[in-house]
Amino acid sequence: MTARAGSQPDPYETGDDGTSNAMFAALLEDSAEELYESAPCGYLSTLMDGTIAKINLTLLDWLGMEREAVVGRMRFTDLLTMGGKLYHETHFAPLLRMRNEISGIALEIRQADGDRRPVLVSSAVKLSGNGEPLLIRTTLFDARDRRAYEEELLRERKAAEEARREAEADRARLQDALAALQQSLLPTTLPPVPGLETAAYYRAASPDQLGGDFYDLFPVDGKSFAFFLGDVCGKGPQAAAVTSLTRYTLRAAALHDPDPVSALSTLNTVLHERYTGGDPRYCTAVFGILEPDPATGETAVRLASGGHPPALVLRADGRVDFLPTPGGVLVGILPSAPFATASTTLAPATLSCSTPTASPRPAPDRTAPPCTATRRCVPSPPPTPAGPRTPSSRP
Amino acid sequence: MSPLQITVRNAASGPVLGIIGELDHTTAPQLRDLLATLTLQPGQRLVLDLGRMQFCDSSGITALIVARNHALAAQADITLAAVPAHTLRVLHIVGLDQVFRLNPDSQAATQP
Repeated sequence: MTARAGSQPDPYETGDDGTSNAMFAALLEDSAEELYESAPCGYLSTLMDGTIAKINLTLLDWLGMEREAVVGRMRFTDLLTMGGKLYHETHFAPLLRMRNEISGIALEIRQADGDRRPVLVSSAVKLSGNGEPLLIRTTLFDARDRRAYEEELLRERKAAEEARREAEADRARLQDALAALQQSLLPTTLPPVPGLETAAYYRAASPDQLGGDFYDLFPVDGKSFAFFLGDVCGKGPQAAAVTSLTRYTLRAAALHDPDPVSALSTLNTVLHERYTGGDPRYCTAVFGILEPDPATGETAVRLASGGHPPALVLRADGRVDFLPTPGGVLVGILPSAPFATASTTLAPATLSCSTPTASPRPAPDRTAPPCTATRRCVPSPPPTPAGPRTPSSRP
Repeated sequence: MSPLQITVRNAASGPVLGIIGELDHTTAPQLRDLLATLTLQPGQRLVLDLGRMQFCDSSGITALIVARNHALAAQADITLAAVPAHTLRVLHIVGLDQVFRLNPDSQAATQP
């Protein structure tokens, strides 16, 4: 190694005559005085009682005041707004006394033109050799941009909170609308049927998911009642629209002609006409007529099924039978569909209709037909059956 | 790998779609999308070979009905071949065994 210390040129020195150095120095703030007066921040020195002893031009410009009007005549707190005075009194000054320095405090100064200028204030106490406080040096940074930025952030946050409130209100309105629609798809209560106890159990997959399952029970004339239960393909609003069409079509059809096959045929025509082609909409349905006989206490049941799993009859002795309806086809896929009929008499017995369990994924036993599981679910009859019961719906 | 694969080939009778895997809510749109692009000539027979279909839910059943509507709209025919026992039972419950032509033998189903 042959390099000698000190012989290498300073990278900032480009010449050897010192001219460049002088130019460079001239470009820099040439005097401490100039730097003090024209610094991009306000400088202020005060006595310990706050009386302003020295102030730079920058701060005077901000204030719009002459040096003579300030030095020796005003205190630091005279430059502040009323809120700033209070804050200075309660926080700024005590902390400064305690620590001898304080930094980054947001205050506002009053300008001569009446405007306020937000500033960030830092102060330090200059001590004498024996630790006595002599004066307070203060710098003030213009915080207008920062304040604008903070206000912008605050505005944005308020806007976001407002948007969130609106979204929550919208969501609540939507939930109410969904609940009202869901209510329109199902009866709120089942009407009393002489000689029968009726019950329905309905469980939606989720509170905001309109279901495709439907049921109803209503009087068709003085003596008999109609019931239906079924399952529309799919879920969500489209399925709910089909459910609504199905429910009101069946109710109207039953009032016109309560024959079960006739009611399902009307529904079939309506669905097939409405939904054809690439987006078929259809349903399974059981439609039945109940005719209570006050003389015997028994109830005759006539029903028809379109592609729906068979109803179950739970007899008083505990026997459970299917009420088979083979050959009935899904409602709505053919221009004219065959529907299977069945009938029975409920002398103390329970008639149970249900829709298959809706499961997005195959159940562990995917080969078991849905009705097998239903049959297992049917509870044992009470020891002393009170009388016939009718349709209960299980999801 | 998708739980559903669909193979397409042309037999003397017309297009044959092999449904392999699970035809359910998430995969049935695959079949429906494919059907929309499938051109059928009048008199042809669309065969859906279900021999390797492991599962079919109500969305799958709907896709089968879409296939039938597609075939009928083209004045073509449709046959479900080698329907697995579990799906056959569902087709029976919903009455579709009367609506679809069924052939237990997928080879025989494609004979003109």
